[in-house]
Amino acid sequence: MDFYLNLINTIGIHTMLGLSAYLLLQTGQLSLAQAGFFAVGSYTAAILTVIFQWNIIPSVLVAMLVSGFLAFLVGFPALRVKGLMLVVATIAFSEFVRMFFYNLKWRVTRNGEEIGPDGTMGFAEIRYFSDNGWSNFEVTLFLWSFVILIMGVIWWSDQSRTGAVLRAVGEDELAASSVGINLTVVKVSAMTAGGFIAGISGGLYAHQVTSLDHHSFTVLLGTFAIAYPILGGLSNVFGTLVAVIFIQGLLVEGLRFLGDWRMILFGLLIVLAMNFKPLGLFDKQTMDLIKKAIRV
Amino acid sequence: MEDFLYEAVEIIQTIWDGILFGSTYALIGIGFTLIFGAMGKLNMAYAGAAIAGAYVGLAVSLFFDATIIFVFAVSAVISTLLGYIVYQTCFRFIPTHNHLAALMASVGGLFFIDELIVLATLGSPMNFPGLFEDAYFEIGPFGIRGDLLFVFLIGIVSTLLLLYVLFKTRLGMATRAVAQQDIAAQLCGINIHRTNSITFSIAGLLGGIAGAMTAAAVGVLSPVMTVPLTIKGLIVTVIGGLGSIPGAIIAGLFVGAFENFFLYIRGIDERDMYVVALLFIFLIFRPNGIFSKTINRD
Amino acid sequence: MKNISKLIGASMLLIALSIPQNAISGGHSLKVLGWGAKSGPLKSFGVNSEAALRSAVAEINAAGGVRMGDGSMAPMEVIGYEDSACKKDEAIAILRKTASTTDAIVGMGTTCSGVCQAMFGVLQKKRGDDSDSGVQMPILADTCIRPGLAKISDWSFRNVPNEITMYDELFKWIRTAYPNVKTFTGGSETDQGHSFVTYTAIIAQMAVKHGFQWVGPPVPELGPKVKQGMKELQAAAKSQHWLMGDTNYTVQARKIKKQNADMVIVASHPFSACGFMKEMKRQRVKPKLMVGLTSSASQETLNGCMSAAEGIIIPTGFAPITSEAKKANSIVSKAGGFLDLHSAAAWENAYLIKHAVERTSIMGKPSTLQEDRRKFRNALASITSQKGLIGHLTRDGSTGEASKPYVYVQVVNGKWKVIHDPNS
Repeated sequence: MDFYLNLINTIGIHTMLGLSAYLLLQTGQLSLAQAGFFAVGSYTAAILTVIFQWNIIPSVLVAMLVSGFLAFLVGFPALRVKGLMLVVATIAFSEFVRMFFYNLKWRVTRNGEEIGPDGTMGFAEIRYFSDNGWSNFEVTLFLWSFVILIMGVIWWSDQSRTGAVLRAVGEDELAASSVGINLTVVKVSAMTAGGFIAGISGGLYAHQVTSLDHHSFTVLLGTFAIAYPILGGLSNVFGTLVAVIFIQGLLVEGLRFLGDWRMILFGLLIVLAMNFKPLGLFDKQTMDLIKKAIRV
Repeated sequence: MEDFLYEAVEIIQTIWDGILFGSTYALIGIGFTLIFGAMGKLNMAYAGAAIAGAYVGLAVSLFFDATIIFVFAVSAVISTLLGYIVYQTCFRFIPTHNHLAALMASVGGLFFIDELIVLATLGSPMNFPGLFEDAYFEIGPFGIRGDLLFVFLIGIVSTLLLLYVLFKTRLGMATRAVAQQDIAAQLCGINIHRTNSITFSIAGLLGGIAGAMTAAAVGVLSPVMTVPLTIKGLIVTVIGGLGSIPGAIIAGLFVGAFENFFLYIRGIDERDMYVVALLFIFLIFRPNGIFSKTINRD
Repeated sequence: MKNISKLIGASMLLIALSIPQNAISGGHSLKVLGWGAKSGPLKSFGVNSEAALRSAVAEINAAGGVRMGDGSMAPMEVIGYEDSACKKDEAIAILRKTASTTDAIVGMGTTCSGVCQAMFGVLQKKRGDDSDSGVQMPILADTCIRPGLAKISDWSFRNVPNEITMYDELFKWIRTAYPNVKTFTGGSETDQGHSFVTYTAIIAQMAVKHGFQWVGPPVPELGPKVKQGMKELQAAAKSQHWLMGDTNYTVQARKIKKQNADMVIVASHPFSACGFMKEMKRQRVKPKLMVGLTSSASQETLNGCMSAAEGIIIPTGFAPITSEAKKANSIVSKAGGFLDLHSAAAWENAYLIKHAVERTSIMGKPSTLQEDRRKFRNALASITSQKGLIGHLTRDGSTGEASKPYVYVQVVNGKWKVIHDPNS
């Protein structure tokens, strides 16, 4: 049971990470900076619970605010670049963040033991959950309440005017601005919201793996963040969830019994998925099928 | 005074070494920029394919007693082939205007190529034959690696050849036509897919040379090299201006010198931060790269 | 909805399939489950350790198996060897899977220090502490050498040499064996925690302790005690370090050339150690002696840069010097692996498990699983000395720090050659 809960937690964390990129993709911003925001969130929350011994809830909320604020700041220069330039700029940004934490040392002594981030050695023993006797099931409930909340908000925004505005910007900026949409406001808000979500998921991630170091926050993580919504499709939040289940549940966990062939198949399946469903698993075709199925 | 002279010599040497190593970045950058120029897309599998080409070249040299030039040739041929395959699998069947899917597919291609390398070598670093390893010229206080000089020359020659193909041949004209206006080019009877696959193959060819050159310059091939090379290549592409070949060359050499200089004065932990900062400075002040004439915000 | 439910159904089916087939199997056997990197750049770790573990278990079974709590002999069974890809999240998933869905009595993995750091954090910190909801599952790692990992949990065990005594003894020996070596300098890869910390907190200090003089950028704080002057050394010598994926080592090699030391320390994994040593050779840096990081004492270094590495001395936890070690070496080679400092630990771990099981009374029934694991942990913790392949493995019961015997090897004519055995 513990194993499935752990898998569900992992899926939850990655769903949030994917959703943070989902919002940006809707506005046409392809950002690999989510790994950077995620890293900021995880280190912030971990520093608060370990060094300052805060409760997990305010820690995650502060992590969310810090990441969100950073994303807000990144949002403005990001307006100037577009498309593939933005990809490279955000890769560079997340590398910058990674190198920041890679150089970060903040050691304090508690009960005769040094704790805290230790540069390249990483940040070990972020044991809030087990120190406080949380069972894995409680962790799952806690974590998924965030996931469901975030999914709910984005689902609602998708149905409302907000979603329409985001999509309008994503599809044609010129047309969107000609009908009076303020591009700066929309794009920067999307970036900030993405930062909030990535911050939450990073904060929770830190406590699930108990140890952070710069190896966790490479370009690979940023790539995964955009892979989920792209594979899942941008029509609704469930696409991202299904893509996370596909990647984390099926490719990473489900195919583990294949041993060395697992990672080869991993790349191959992504190539195939993109060739057959270039607009994601939940593209128009699938949605029509689903609608039909529901009506029948 | 002596200290100052010593430092000056060291810094000149550092920058010079950086420029020579920068030629490998320049070749990777050209590959990215070529594909971007032709299709407006990023091929993330590019540096992976370049390294894979070098691996196959190396494998050939292990089985036959091949000369280093032959190893280079095999690397280039295999990389050309990989470029073609990557086009066929990750770009050909994905709608032209869907950048996201093509980008993702090429990331999948990168994972696939990386893992194939690991499967073949257990991930172990492999000895790569160097080019004239003993040619190390010492001129006064300066030292110049003969092999890097050769690598640098190959870089320049392949770039000139590439420019010749692009601007003096029918094939180049077709490539540029597709890059400028794919629909118009198609109306003129140019087969877009054929042109694009040739572009990918040419980029692959350059990548193979770059991969083999990097491997020969380091003397070791390992799968941990692909991601840093991809990132450096992308940074070079943007600093040079997406789509600009001369820009990619200058940017490659410049980034090589720049990072080596900051390694010398600020150390390894900050080196890459300065490179990223350089990229940001370019994005803010010259978003269209070194050779852009106007700052075009859209 | 059909498509989604089909898709979810299919994923669930595959996930279910991935659970070890004999999760709860009948029959009387002692079950263990291992994991290590079987994909990614560190694939050789997992492949070699798996071959070593499986071969050792086959040897044990051929010799009669393990004595269980009821006095009967039962075979030891490796119910799986999973791919953790040297990634934290995956190793934690496997750890939890092993603990909750299999009847393995002990988890055996992994080699990567950073992964162990995360895995051990998921375990219960103090045994018997009911307020701690960490996983209660004994883990016996092959290597995970980074200093300080032992204290993270009572349930974690490692089979590694103690790097402090290892380098202490090494420099003491070099002092007498190479009397004309007086000065030293070195470089490391800063993005690998183990390499960098071992170099700046242990290797440099031990060299100073034995009278070698640091000739790199001045670090007056550098002293003979562990960690003495570590921060200052890290800050002063930052231009002669590199990163694991680097391609250009010209600056570092030239800095070290200028320092003209008798001894150069290359504290790095084979990927970058090779690139750096090749650059030293090109620039004709010829120190009297090179000393390497223990992780480089492997076949990978020979694959990568046999001739540039010629003469490097490295302390290692394994070399085929005893008859047992030679025998194990040939068995593992036949099974398709290399026995090296990492995988030899996996071989010895199989024997450690047998030894621990026979010290206590393991029933090996599904109903006694949690009790068996607890008993096993206590038995393993009570072992302070056990015969290994090249000497006695010891463990300090109070700190949990293991100490494995080691020898000094050198690349001589393109092969690893044992040049000194401090135990003999």
